[in-house]
This record gives sequence, structure tokens and C-alpha cells, in this order.
Amino acid sequence: MSEPRALNEFIVEANEILETLGRELLALDQPGGGEADPDRLNAVFRAAHSLKGLSSMFGLDGISKLAHRAEDVLDALRLGRAPLSATLLDSLGQAVDVLEHMLGAVSRGEDQADLNAAADALGTELTRLATGEASTDADVLDQVGIDPQVRAVFTEYEEHRLRENVKKGVGLWKVRAVFSLTDFDVRLADLNRVLKPLGEVVSTLPSSQPGDDASIAFDLIFGSARSRTEISSVLPSDISMEGLTKRAFTPTPPPPPSMPARPSPTPYNAKPLPSWDESSGSGFALPAPPSSSPSGLSSPSRVQTDASLRSLTNTVRVDITRLDGLMNSIGELLLVRGNLERLAEAARNATGSALPKLWGQELQREARTLARRLDELQKGVLEVRMVPLVQVFDKLARLMRRLVRESGKEVDFDMSGGDVELDKLIVEELSDPLMHLLRNALDHGVELPSARVQKGKDERATIGLVARQQGNHVIIEVKDDGAGLDESRIREVAISRGLVTEEQVEEMDRRELLNLVFQPGFSTRKDVSELSGRGVGLDVVKTNLQRLSGLIDIDSRRYAGTTFTLTLPLTLAIIRALMVNVSRRTYAIPLNAVLEIVPVREDALRTIEKREVFEVRGQTIPFVRLARLFGLEEEKRTVHYVVVVGIAQQRLGLAVDELLGQQDIVTKPLSGRLRGTPGVSGATELGDRRAVLVLDIAALLEEIVRPQLEPRSA
Amino acid sequence: MTPRFDQLLDRFFYRPDEDEGPYLANAPRVERAAHAMEEVPEEFLSFSLEGETYAVPIHAVREILKITAVTEIPRAAKNVIGLINVRGEMLPLYDVKTRLKLSTKLPQLRGAGDVPRAARIVLLKDLEGDAGILVDRVSGVVKLQLSKLEEAPDLGVERSAIAGIARRGEDLFILLDVEQALS
Amino acid sequence: MSTRKVLIVEDSGATRELLRAAVETIVEIEVHTAISGFDALKVLPRHRFELIITDINMPDINGLELINFVKKNPHYKDTPLFVVTTEGREADRDRGLLLGANEYVIKPFQPETILGLVRQYLKL
Repeated sequence: MSEPRALNEFIVEANEILETLGRELLALDQPGGGEADPDRLNAVFRAAHSLKGLSSMFGLDGISKLAHRAEDVLDALRLGRAPLSATLLDSLGQAVDVLEHMLGAVSRGEDQADLNAAADALGTELTRLATGEASTDADVLDQVGIDPQVRAVFTEYEEHRLRENVKKGVGLWKVRAVFSLTDFDVRLADLNRVLKPLGEVVSTLPSSQPGDDASIAFDLIFGSARSRTEISSVLPSDISMEGLTKRAFTPTPPPPPSMPARPSPTPYNAKPLPSWDESSGSGFALPAPPSSSPSGLSSPSRVQTDASLRSLTNTVRVDITRLDGLMNSIGELLLVRGNLERLAEAARNATGSALPKLWGQELQREARTLARRLDELQKGVLEVRMVPLVQVFDKLARLMRRLVRESGKEVDFDMSGGDVELDKLIVEELSDPLMHLLRNALDHGVELPSARVQKGKDERATIGLVARQQGNHVIIEVKDDGAGLDESRIREVAISRGLVTEEQVEEMDRRELLNLVFQPGFSTRKDVSELSGRGVGLDVVKTNLQRLSGLIDIDSRRYAGTTFTLTLPLTLAIIRALMVNVSRRTYAIPLNAVLEIVPVREDALRTIEKREVFEVRGQTIPFVRLARLFGLEEEKRTVHYVVVVGIAQQRLGLAVDELLGQQDIVTKPLSGRLRGTPGVSGATELGDRRAVLVLDIAALLEEIVRPQLEPRSA
Repeated sequence: MTPRFDQLLDRFFYRPDEDEGPYLANAPRVERAAHAMEEVPEEFLSFSLEGETYAVPIHAVREILKITAVTEIPRAAKNVIGLINVRGEMLPLYDVKTRLKLSTKLPQLRGAGDVPRAARIVLLKDLEGDAGILVDRVSGVVKLQLSKLEEAPDLGVERSAIAGIARRGEDLFILLDVEQALS
Repeated sequence: MSTRKVLIVEDSGATRELLRAAVETIVEIEVHTAISGFDALKVLPRHRFELIITDINMPDINGLELINFVKKNPHYKDTPLFVVTTEGREADRDRGLLLGANEYVIKPFQPETILGLVRQYLKL
């Protein structure tokens, strides 16, 4: 493998490992204590271990060292040598962050000197946290008598899990299954699925004494508090089980509180099938002790086993640029289809011989079938581009947990809707704006516990991050039940910064007033504190969202809280557009923003405060002549074709000269230099290779519907 | 123009019915190897604007295109003529004459009659984004020695868009500062 | 010329390719790979492997269990087996050797280290 290709492979793989690490760490951080899921702990450990090995092979010592420290901590955790504490989770979370940064630096070919320094400090901290006491108890496993040949195969970790199971007093079983070589992994997954609810599968041992060459035998070491009959009832008939231990476990004093008074163990001879019936005298077949694993293990670990098997076969990593390429090809195909349809139409309408007419009909039929297939293909590719928001939500959750702890405020962080999917490009761009809004909520929204109590509120505040899909859009809310915005203060600031005059402010309704916070120049002081990062304000958040054809709105009540609502399109790639002519130039209007098309008589127009408006079903809507807005020649007309567009609650009527029809287009961004062009979000190519501009409805709504504020200059 | 040079230029021209236009990077560099000089002169692409000869470094040139359909962009920057579609990529077309004060208004590229037949679009590579400039005629590729570069005298032209003046024998070449010309 | 078949069992794609690239420099060798313990169990019966190189840290069955399986299995017990571990997991390495692994290699390793061992065991 060539050098750059190898490094690329490394980066992709390392990234996946870090994502897993982050996700599992998050799941470990559940409030309320209780035993951490051992499978999860092990998964995190394995991720750190893999990263260490992988990065060392590529000579990335900084990453390898830090991963090694994390691995040590996690090893101590999974072997029960260190307790799981909030500080520990914090440090591990920080380690993941630093590792992500280091990986980023590697992928950009940057120097990592200062990152390495941070990593070293963090590594030392981790090592400090990892030193716990080694257990000095006599090995309980010796007491219960396990076949030494079996024991020899266990890793240190598996032995630890065995010990834990024994100490809890659950029974240990050996479940033997013989499967065919062709599908053993599937059958093993099934077996794990039925066993998991009843106990813990400590180890899966392939046995070398199968019946024949086409099959393979497995011994599953299984710890469970259930009775033998209960366990065997869930097993398929061709799977047998036997007890693993020869003796009952006798705890040395002092006994753990959950165990009943020590019964004398019934002596067992070394029968090949010692039975642990419910009726046996020992106290260990009794109902499961409170903290035993079986009840604690639920779907998450089960899903995890499945996931670890499935991931070997079912997923493919795809570079997003390849998907862009596919989208482009589809776009080209759409153009060809359009041309075919036109040819078919022309052939059908040809006068003269009947043959072209016939062919025309056939062509049309084929063109229609092509259209259907293309539709499917397009949907398929779009789906591939969609990724669930959980990717970015998890990162944010990790960040929030840390920030909340540092802030000294009491906050519950609620997240939902991570399964909502969006085009990957949009999701990538969302993490910065969302992070900014969440930090805002924490810094300026949530009050200190004492202040909250004074106002009669609950000491614990809540910050929510909620996503849901609504038609062609995704709505994301960032809300807090904190101090809310002070309208009078906003008024003061806006006037003092020269953003509005006193008169203008008097005319604004509450929502318009609140939206002033998005004006450039509004936020000041150390609003842009270290936490807000790049020293940018809400205006940048808004601009960034508009680039994604998204909108942001704010609602707030003093003392009650603030909610930011983001509205985003599902995808930016291929969209259906309404093609219109304005002064003989063609433009495309994204159909998802088009509400209706109405004819409006020139004499039905009214003017309110110098703005032209018209009425539709009792609703007054702002009216804009696109020709005039774009500085093009205007025609005199008695009736206008008005395309009524809207996003969320805002409405606008665009007067155009001609309606050309609907079309699927591939939107291409304008090059960097043309980015700031107002009202235009991109361009697309028509069948005749002409470039046609795509209108930015969100920006136009912003520009026309809020005329009090300075229109953006070109 | 020598026949060989003709071939060279021909390779750069974009024909709309072709799928792929060649890029400069693939152009043959035969002549370079053949002429080993003590000071290796830089190669420039020279073109004319309002009768004057200008030049840009050849490594800044991505392609030379025949005039294609230009889409006006409402409310774009003043020296942007419009948008051109280069094999699916949407790029801006700039007018440098107004920038250099050689003319006072933007050309209207509505129809074939609006520009001289020899007019071309020189597509330039730039960090901020590739862009095209409209020129009256592309003259050819010249080698100029940078050590002999002169400061632009005050010709009543916007100085900042000009990087300097170079001579080769009797001929004068005004070197355009690409970044400035596109702003 | 008949090739000598080597099986590399390693779940990290990038590391697997590095290993493959190193071992394949020996012309007579044909490298087969498995991406996990389970996968190795499927691939083993398909060819006559003369050498197995396996990682320890793998998802479904860990490397030690694979080693045990191989070394106790009448078909494979005489096949030389190298175990690859990382520094700090000496306990696992020791167990690997106890279970019958012939050599161990510690990550990160230089290609020459592996190559030397391969040549030695395959007598190339």
C-alpha cells in the first residue's frame, strides 16, 4: 500500500475507534451509580488498546502514548482495581478530545508539539488515577475448582469476570454447542442472544474436538443465577450444558452483605455432570442478589454483541466525495431524461407518417420508466448520504458534561432525536453552531443554583437538545429553562450600537426584537469568552446556517428560559425546483420552499409602510418584484404571477414573468468568491449546459421581511 | 506563431462537445527541455486588452476557453460579468478592463456579436477560488526573464493590479497581478 | 513453483495491510488474511497454511483462544504460529507462549523482524 493511502486507511480506522470510544464512555456516564456494564467497559478498553497498537505501527508516538495511558486506566477499571468515578470519566473524556485533535493534526499534516504537551500532562493524570490496589484475596477460582486446562485459556480479564461471577454466588456453566463451519457465527450470535438476559457469557472457547471436518465446537463459559432447568429451557435441543465448577464457593470472612448465612457446602464427587438444581442445599441458587449482572445487562450489551459480529460483514465505508460524484452522475442522467422526453414529445407531434408518432409513444413510455428508475436511484443515493444526528449529538453531550461540571451549576442535559437523519454535509456543519448555542445556554441562560432558588425555580436547570423531522425539513431545538432574555436590555443595546433607531424599535413586535440578537455587532463584552471560541457571535451562527439553507429563530421569556429553533432542509444535493423566468433570465426556486402560486392583479396591491403587500385568504403577505430587486428590466403588467414562498412562519410573494415548470436539479455551490451574493444559494446546469442560479429563499425572506434592518450589501 | 506553438494553444481550447478538456498540467513541456539557459526564464501567457499586451504566469492559468454562455448574477460584485459553467463547475467571470480603468462599463455578453471573434476566457487558478477573465485575444506563450522586471510607470492605470513590466526585445508585456485583478 | 501460504489474523485493517505488505516481499509467499477469530476459523480449513500470524486483541474470540484451538487441533497443531502483541500486555504474551505459540512479536515492529522469523520458520 502506498504511503498516503496507508495513512488514509489509518486515519479512517483511528477515527472509527475514537467514535466508538466516545460513544461507549458516554454510555458509562449514567447518573445514579450502580455497576458499570462490564461488556461496555471491556469495549472501551479494547478500543484504547487497538488505538495504541494501530498508532504505534504508524509511528505516531504521541497518540500511542496517550492511548496507552488510557488503556491502563481502563484495564484497572475492568479488572476491578479502580472504581469508576466522575473524575475518571472526565479525564477519559478529555483524553478522547485530545486524541481527536491529534488525529486531526495528523490528517492535515500539521505539527503536534503543543498537543503533545497537553497529551503528556493528561497522560500523567490518567496514570495517577489508574493506580488502585491490587486485590490480595486468595484466588476464589482456586476454591471452586475449575479444570486447569480450561483456565489456562482465559485472559486475565476473563478470569476477573469469572471471579466476579463466583463472588456474587452465581452458578458457572459450560454450554457446549457444535455448529457447522458455514454458519457458526450466526448461530453463535443467536445463542448469545438467548443467554444474555439470563447471565453473562464470560468467554467463548472454540474446542478442538469436533466430530468432523465440516463442523466446529464451542464451549461458552456462562455465569448465571438462574436454575439449570431455566437455562436449558432457552437452549436449542442440540446444545448441552454442564456445570463448570466442582465445588461451591465458600467466602472467607467477612462475608459480603448480600450473601445469606454460610451454609456448609455439600460435598460433590467429581461426577462429569454435577448438577446445580434449584433444590440443592447451597444458598447460591437462590434469587439473584441485587447487584448481579443478569438484571443489569439489557439490550445495550445484547445489541453490542450483535453489532460486533455484524460489523464484519454489513457495512462499507464510503468517502463523501464519491457520493458527490454519484450525485453528479445522477444529475447528468436527469438532464438526459429531460431531453429524451422532449424528443419523444416532438416525435409524437410530428405530422406526416405514422411511424414517428409510434416511436414517439414508445419513447415516451421508456422515458417514463427511466424517470421512475432514476427516482429510485436518486432516493437511494440520497439515503446513503444521510447520517443520524447522533454522531454530532454525542460529541456535544460529552462537551456539555464537562462544561457543566466546570461551571458549578446544576444542570440536566436532555437529548433526543439522535436518530433523525440529515445529509452528512449538513450534519458536519452543524456541530459548531450547536456548540455555540449550547455554550450560550449554559453561560448566559442557566443561573447559579442559589439564584434559581431565589426565583422559586428548581435548583437543577435543564438544557435540552431536541431534533425531529417535519416534512422536508428537520427542526432542532436548543432550549434552556434559565434566565431568558431581557427585552428592555436588548432594546438598549441595539439602540446604543446603532443597529436600530428608537422609532424603529417601537414598531417591532416581540419576536422581531428578540431576533436583533442575530445582528452583527450585537454581542459584545466577553460574551465571546474563551468558551465561545473563535470570538464570534450569534450572527455568524445565523450566517453559517443560511449557507446550509437553514433558518434560526429565537423565543424567550424573562426568568423562564430561551429556545432557539433551527430549521434545516433534509438535503442540499438534488432538489426539486420550480423554474421561472424573470426579465427573460431563468432562475430556480427550491420547491420545498414554495407554498403556492397565485395570480395577483396589479391593482390589488397595497402598500404598508412603503412595503408592497397583497392578500391571500385573509393573510397579508409581503410582495417583491424580482425584476426590480435584481436590477433588471421590468415589464408593465396587469396581473403578476406570484410564487408564494415560506419557511417556518415567514411568507413572501415573488413576482415572476413566466412559470416554466418543475425540474430536479443538482445544486452546486457558487465558488468561494461569489459566496456572499445576496439571495443566491447556488447554481445548476440545465440540459443545454446553461448555468441557472438557484434562489436562496431563506436569505430573501430575511432581506425582505425585515426591512427595518440594513440590507446586506453586495 | 510557429506551427508547434499553434498545436500547443490548440490543446488548451475547450470545445463544448468534448467531454474532457485538457489541463495545462498535461501540456507537453518539450520546448523547455530543449532550451537550457543559464537563467531559466519563466513562461507567461500573453493576451491583449484594448490593444495593450498583458501577461500572467503560466502556472496560474488553468485553461483557455472560447466564449460560452454567461449567466448574469444579480447584485454580485461590480467587476463580475457573470457565471460560467465549466464542465459542471460554476465559476465567476471577471472583467479586468474596468479594474484596470481601460473601460468604464461591464461588457454585455448577450449574444455572439457582443465580443470580438478572437476573444477568449482565460481561466485562472487562485486560492480563493478559480475564476475566469475576459480577454480580447490570446497571443501566446512567452518566456520572460524576471530579473529584468521593471516597476510599472504611471500609465494612468490602476497600479495595484499590475505586478510589473517586462520587455523582450522590442515588445512590452504588462504583468498582471492575478489576485488583485480578481478582487 | 508452489507458493507457501501464510495466514494473517488481525482485526485492524490498516495494520493488516502493513503486515501483508511486509510478508509479501518474500516472493514465494501467498498471504491470506482473516479479520477476526471467527473469520480465521472459517479460512483455516480452506488452505494448507504453513504459518499463522495472529493478533491477541480481537473482538469475538481473542487470540489466545484461537491459539489454543489451533494447537490442540490435530490438523493444525504442527503449524508454526506467531503471536503479535503490544507492549504492556506481557501476561497475554506469556499465556500465548504457554499455549503453544512458537514466537511472539511486539508492536510496533520493523518489517525485518517479522521477515527474519518468517524466513527462519519457513526455511526460505
